Amino acid sequence: MTTLEDPATEVDAVGVHERRRVIGTSQLRKEDDRLLRGDGRFTDDVDPARVLYMAVARCPYPHARIVRVDASAAAALDGVEHVLTPADIRRDTEPLTVLRPVPGAPQLPYYALAQDVATHEGQPVVSVVASSRHVAEDALELLDISYEPLPHVVDVLAALEPDAPVLHPSVLDSNLLAANSDGSGDPDARFAEADVVVEGRFRINRVTALPMETRGVVAEWRPGARELTVHCSSQVPHLIRKQLAETLRLHESDVRAVASDVGGGFGLKLGVFPEDVLACLHAIALRRPVKWSEDRAEHFRGSTHARESVHDYRIAADSTGRILAMTNVYATDIGGWNSPFGSAQLSSVVFNGPYKISDGYTERRVTLTNKTPVGAYRGYGQPEVNFAYERLMDQLARRLELDPVELRARNMVTPRDMPWKNPVGAVYDSGDYERCLRMAADAVDWAGHRAAGRTPRPDGRLVGIGFASFVERTGYASSRFLAKRGSVFGAHESVTLRANRSGGIDVYTGVSTMGQSSETAFAQVVADVVGTDYDAVRVHAGDTGASPLNTGAFASRTMIAAAGALRSAAEQLAAKTRRIAAWQLEAPVDEMEVAGSVVRVRADHSRALPLAAVYTTAITGQGMPPEEEPGLEATAHFEPPDAAYSFGTAAAQVAVDPLTGEFDIERFVLVHDGGTVVNPTIVEGQVRGGLAQGFGAALTEELRYDPETGQLVNGSMVDYFVPTAADLPHVELLHTAVPSPVTPFGVRGVGEAGTIPPGAAVANAVCDALADHGVELSALPITPEAIWSALAGRSSGGGDPELTPTTTDLPDGGVEY
Amino acid sequence: MTSVENPSEVLVETVTTVNGRVVTANVPARLHVADFLRQHLGLTGTHLGCEQGACGMCTVIVDGEAVKSCLMLACQLDGRNVQTVESLAEGDELNPLQQAFKEEHALQCGFCSPGFLMTATALAHQGRRPGRDEIREEITGVLCRCTGYDNVVTAIERWFAENPQGASEDPLPAVTDTIATQG
Ligand code: FES
Ligand code: FES
Repeated sequence: MTTLEDPATEVDAVGVHERRRVIGTSQLRKEDDRLLRGDGRFTDDVDPARVLYMAVARCPYPHARIVRVDASAAAALDGVEHVLTPADIRRDTEPLTVLRPVPGAPQLPYYALAQDVATHEGQPVVSVVASSRHVAEDALELLDISYEPLPHVVDVLAALEPDAPVLHPSVLDSNLLAANSDGSGDPDARFAEADVVVEGRFRINRVTALPMETRGVVAEWRPGARELTVHCSSQVPHLIRKQLAETLRLHESDVRAVASDVGGGFGLKLGVFPEDVLACLHAIALRRPVKWSEDRAEHFRGSTHARESVHDYRIAADSTGRILAMTNVYATDIGGWNSPFGSAQLSSVVFNGPYKISDGYTERRVTLTNKTPVGAYRGYGQPEVNFAYERLMDQLARRLELDPVELRARNMVTPRDMPWKNPVGAVYDSGDYERCLRMAADAVDWAGHRAAGRTPRPDGRLVGIGFASFVERTGYASSRFLAKRGSVFGAHESVTLRANRSGGIDVYTGVSTMGQSSETAFAQVVADVVGTDYDAVRVHAGDTGASPLNTGAFASRTMIAAAGALRSAAEQLAAKTRRIAAWQLEAPVDEMEVAGSVVRVRADHSRALPLAAVYTTAITGQGMPPEEEPGLEATAHFEPPDAAYSFGTAAAQVAVDPLTGEFDIERFVLVHDGGTVVNPTIVEGQVRGGLAQGFGAALTEELRYDPETGQLVNGSMVDYFVPTAADLPHVELLHTAVPSPVTPFGVRGVGEAGTIPPGAAVANAVCDALADHGVELSALPITPEAIWSALAGRSSGGGDPELTPTTTDLPDGGVEY
Repeated sequence: MTSVENPSEVLVETVTTVNGRVVTANVPARLHVADFLRQHLGLTGTHLGCEQGACGMCTVIVDGEAVKSCLMLACQLDGRNVQTVESLAEGDELNPLQQAFKEEHALQCGFCSPGFLMTATALAHQGRRPGRDEIREEITGVLCRCTGYDNVVTAIERWFAENPQGASEDPLPAVTDTIATQG
């Protein structure tokens, strides 16, 4: 990895002195030993005595009335302990709640078991608990459920037609859950006066996050103690606690949620799902632990999907290629219900990407269809719009006969412009977008490629290079923003640090461990700020019974918010450590320093006390300075003042067979800026992992529904193609490191960037190669078949009316993202 | 509630060796090896991701070969020798393969790691010395959604380079004791 600026210099600027620095180094991970020894504790590994197993009967139709449920034969089977039917749920629970609501959307009556009507294949209808998973599944076979299939709709645009069957007639007249528009200026006037307008309809495929560990829950109830302990595979244990309490009509103090090791989340494991509620109800009824481990067939139908949307994009420009206005009106599919994180909101926030425009608008139409609910997935709306605006940038360059790199450079927000507010109110904090673009162009020898022209290779293949520049919103722009959007969580993180008698520091956090290496990064920050050894810091993650209330691990926000809380708590703990030691050594406090396992006088290292001794003093309260309280523990909260925007440019080189549409990605370069780097190896791992998911969604992954039956046709790992080790192109990573002014240490989020540019870069490369054939791709995934169809002029599409905006009055300046 | 007997619950006596211990167990006929290891023996390092043979999370070594333990029944283990990820570490120390994974950052959530570790270990048992491209092909049976695989390939490549003796090691742990478990 190439890093242009040494991030460590920036660390100095915030007051971490010349100790051996841990931030900015590739420390080996805290998480690894247990995971490599098979000693992780994933939810299914939790195995309490007398545990019972749950299985769930699911609606096999996309839309059906539940006419009758007879569970008597199932209940009578040897080993079956308990059955829940829709009526039990209506009586004993409240509907499931949403964490990140769509502004203007009504609450849907979403119960843990379908009431009267199920709106997607896979929606839970009955649940059974038995002595083993096998027996519970045997019991499902004995259930007698009669369904009356109802007309269904699975296409997102068809669902908005007036004759479409309405999914939730009790609260809505149509399948439009809500429409949200934002913008500034007078884009219509700019379009009228533009020299050139490029526009297109872009279809984004339905994909799924597919963590290797499916969802799971183990619930245990002690009635005398009124204590419900819930082990779950979740990114947000504190929000699980809140949602379960609401739905189960308990107090939050009755619920303890624990997410220890999580086998991948990627946004899918945000919030309470129906099965979590069901397992708790069974456990409460039976007074025995109940476990449910989602199988993969259930996961494909009962978890969440992502990304599916149709974008009508327009860009207006003058004859020199200066962009005058940009608009995006899009329908985004939310499936049969509003899942906790529902429809992706960032498609609107960064609809203009890295380009400087003052006139623009975006309108989101959140649309219900008879499919599995859509939830958050790494990228959260950003890969979708990047594909559309970057495809249009290349089309604009072709129309104006401009170099697409120069066109991009001419329109990018510059370092001098920032902080800069885009038309919907997003404030881009800092960065050098053009430098990343130029580095990518140089890396793939763009100039040489332009000069060479489009001569086919001896094998007939044509070579193309494509670019995708992007910004990535990381973290949240304050709780004020979240409140405006109706979100029920904060923008801050909270941590507790506690010294122990062995001379170590325990860190307690509600951020669960799901591969993002937060245990390692948190320990690095604490070790650095205190001055103690990395090995002396231990992170205890994901237990609401032990950690301060927090928000959780999503939106690339963990490090941005947590770093501030960690720094502040570590400073408090270190300051008290120095005060105690100074008193004991009879030295001035400002001459004390913590160094490794001791605290000592800076100028005379022979005057030192072991940290274990000082910590013991505080813990026992014996030998404390007179004015000092006993104890050595600090809790701190931190809300970043603003979101930080990561950015970068990807370049892909492809060789395409113009007869068959087959292509190879021969090179893929990503130049990325994630601000100050806490741990270079981990950052690179996050970027590469994001790219792998980005390539999957761009090239091979697509969940397809049969329009006739409304059923998912490829809902298994045998039929849904996530990349294997042999499928991914070689990726070359380059980095810049411009510290963000709005975050502690200058960090930017890095978790999602990789998912954003692969689709646009590869599609632009293919279209560059096939420019003489007039191919302009406008749908994902990019398959040889799609290219072949485009080459033969066989592409479908066209004919459908464009999505036109519903408002003419734009809220000037947006809603402050 | 009167109970109706379940004809599918049939037990089979099985004697097998797992990580060097002889195990005598009465296992349900339809129980697969991964569930047997996890639920009956508490060896939860073997994970499940699909129960369809497609993801490789459940990979273990049976008689020296990598096997997807979700596709094999526990009763088929009778008379065979099983090795799981729990057998790799040497006392409290990671073995060189595990150490290579740690140093090369070949894992993030770590859910897939046991599958890769057992696949690579089985290659060594077979006396194979694959190069980088071959390693890529050989591990396609195990999926990873976090890392993008590069570091996994690098870790395995490095382990083969640094441990040329790997294959001549005793392929299976020696029998140390016996345990019995109920179905
Ligand atoms: S669980 Fe065995 S291959 Fe997926
Ligand atoms: S590290 Fe998470 S699946 Fe491989």
